[in-house]
Amino acid sequence: MNFVEGFRLALESIWANRLRSFLTLLGVIIGIAAIISTAAVIQGLNSYVSEKLSNLGKGVFTVQRVGLITNREAFLAAIRRNRKLLPADGRAIIERCPSASAVAWETHATIDIKRGTNEIRDVDVGGITPGILEIEPFEVADGRILAQHEEDGSAPVVFVGNDIVERLFPGIDPVGKDLRIKGRDLRIVGVAAKKGSILGFSQDNFVKIPFSLHRKLFGTRRSINISVQAAVPEDMETTMDEVRTVLRARHHLEPADDDDFTFLTAEGINTLWRSLTATIFSIALFVVGISLVVGGVVIMNIMLVSVVERTREIGVRKAVGARQRDIVLQFLVEAVLLSCVGGLIGVAIAWGLSELLAAYTPLPARFPSWAPPVAFLICAGIGVFFGIHPARRAARLDPIEALRTE
Amino acid sequence: MAPGSDEVIRTEALTRSFPMGSTIVHALRGVDLVIRRGEYVAIMGPSGSGKSTLMNLIGCLDTPSSGQYWLSGQPVAQLGQDDLARIRNKTIGFVFQTFNLLARATALRNVELPLIYGGVPPAERRARAEEALQQVDLGTRMDHRPNQLSGGQRQRVSIARALVTKPALLLADEPTGNLDSKTSAEIMVLFDALHRAGNTIVVVTHERDIAEHAHRIVTIRDGQIASDELRKRPEAIAP
Repeated sequence: MNFVEGFRLALESIWANRLRSFLTLLGVIIGIAAIISTAAVIQGLNSYVSEKLSNLGKGVFTVQRVGLITNREAFLAAIRRNRKLLPADGRAIIERCPSASAVAWETHATIDIKRGTNEIRDVDVGGITPGILEIEPFEVADGRILAQHEEDGSAPVVFVGNDIVERLFPGIDPVGKDLRIKGRDLRIVGVAAKKGSILGFSQDNFVKIPFSLHRKLFGTRRSINISVQAAVPEDMETTMDEVRTVLRARHHLEPADDDDFTFLTAEGINTLWRSLTATIFSIALFVVGISLVVGGVVIMNIMLVSVVERTREIGVRKAVGARQRDIVLQFLVEAVLLSCVGGLIGVAIAWGLSELLAAYTPLPARFPSWAPPVAFLICAGIGVFFGIHPARRAARLDPIEALRTE
Repeated sequence: MAPGSDEVIRTEALTRSFPMGSTIVHALRGVDLVIRRGEYVAIMGPSGSGKSTLMNLIGCLDTPSSGQYWLSGQPVAQLGQDDLARIRNKTIGFVFQTFNLLARATALRNVELPLIYGGVPPAERRARAEEALQQVDLGTRMDHRPNQLSGGQRQRVSIARALVTKPALLLADEPTGNLDSKTSAEIMVLFDALHRAGNTIVVVTHERDIAEHAHRIVTIRDGQIASDELRKRPEAIAP
């Protein structure tokens, strides 16, 4: 018997027991759908993050007091150990790092802002030196960005994110209007282009004010993040070394001490992000793996039932000349086909799910193109692994006994 | 002694015993039987006589505990499972009491089954299966499933399935056991016709009137041949 015959037999058999086949496959269907949906979400997030990070210019890095840390203990330790970064550190970098073509910094505070009866909560108020806009470009929807003379004069001006406009200035052109922050009326000079949200967190809930004004309003004790543009983007390492030397000297670190500040690069963020999502994915894979094993065992079980039900058929087939390998092939193909049908349904569900997620939720899910072939391989593997035992049991049946079965 | 060229079956001192709990049951106790090409033989015997065991051995479904068996001149007593499967496929056509058709398959598919395992290509397979069905007068019922056919029609499908490989031996086990007497008669007429067409037929039965269609009646009792009665001279076979 050849493969085509086995395939045809298997299809007939699966179709003859449609409901049972479907129920048998639930484990595999759910497992495959879950793993691909997870992969779709992660792939979507990854490409989203890569895309966002590519906005960060080449050769740009940021110096921060605390880097990207994913657990609370490490964060608290870094807060205790690392000195605050101050404008004096930034100025030292400007003076003593010849390979840095631009240096700027920013500090943050979070407040609620009211205008009339409208209120917007947890607004990120960034105090920036205008140079930062050359390093990290800002898309402007209306008006203009902050100017150097405004920084020099601590001018009461503000550049606002889209959320501020939508929530506090509905239907009003905000440019030229005042916005009251910490008791000061600040003139709105420009509005940023809408960025949307990541994972449900709005990226437009911010205002930018001159750094010098920020210090007047929020105090001088806040740590700053220093952005540095390397003159030669391909040789960012040299610039980082210069900055490191300057900061270590200013912080009086011994040669054996670790840095008490962190460099953040687009590549570094991307790497961290990917290792994070890879971890999530491998955990998901493990959990789903259990479901696939259960699915496989269910398939094995139903195949064993099927062998018992079809004992007489097996007897007839053997009587008319089926060899052991013919019977093994028949049942193995059936198990593999069964499992692959489950995989196919799972892939279809995952595809639908990722389209739905992308359309109706903030998750930028993207169905991975490798999913169908990989799902097929996994399901074929499950079919072979869990199908071989029932198939061999069928093949070893004694034809006389099998023909005698009622 | 070397088997003759026209011998379809030759057994020598064939025995078969089964362990049954702590004792051993000797189902066959030394059977010497020769059946030549073109013979129409009935094997009779009461239940428990060993005739089913003999049929399983002759049909290569089972292997003897001792003794020799040549089928179409080929020694088969020591062959393994897969070799026996191949011989069943090429050399023997089975007709069972309970028809043993595949319920989900059409008559045509059922008849094609031995050819599938014989590796016959699909087009030829179909042509031969159609031919075999026409031979048993079921040319118009080829697309029917077993449950759409009467008992006699089912048995004719199973006879077509037995004939489709042009086997050296047609082996029927109580072929009329599940049929009423009128249908039984029709089936036996068909066997007579197949015999006249040159087929070698062995029918295992416990019914005397069925056995009397055969030209030779071998009676088994207690695992041995009790009588071997030639009723008519076998018809001459064209060389």
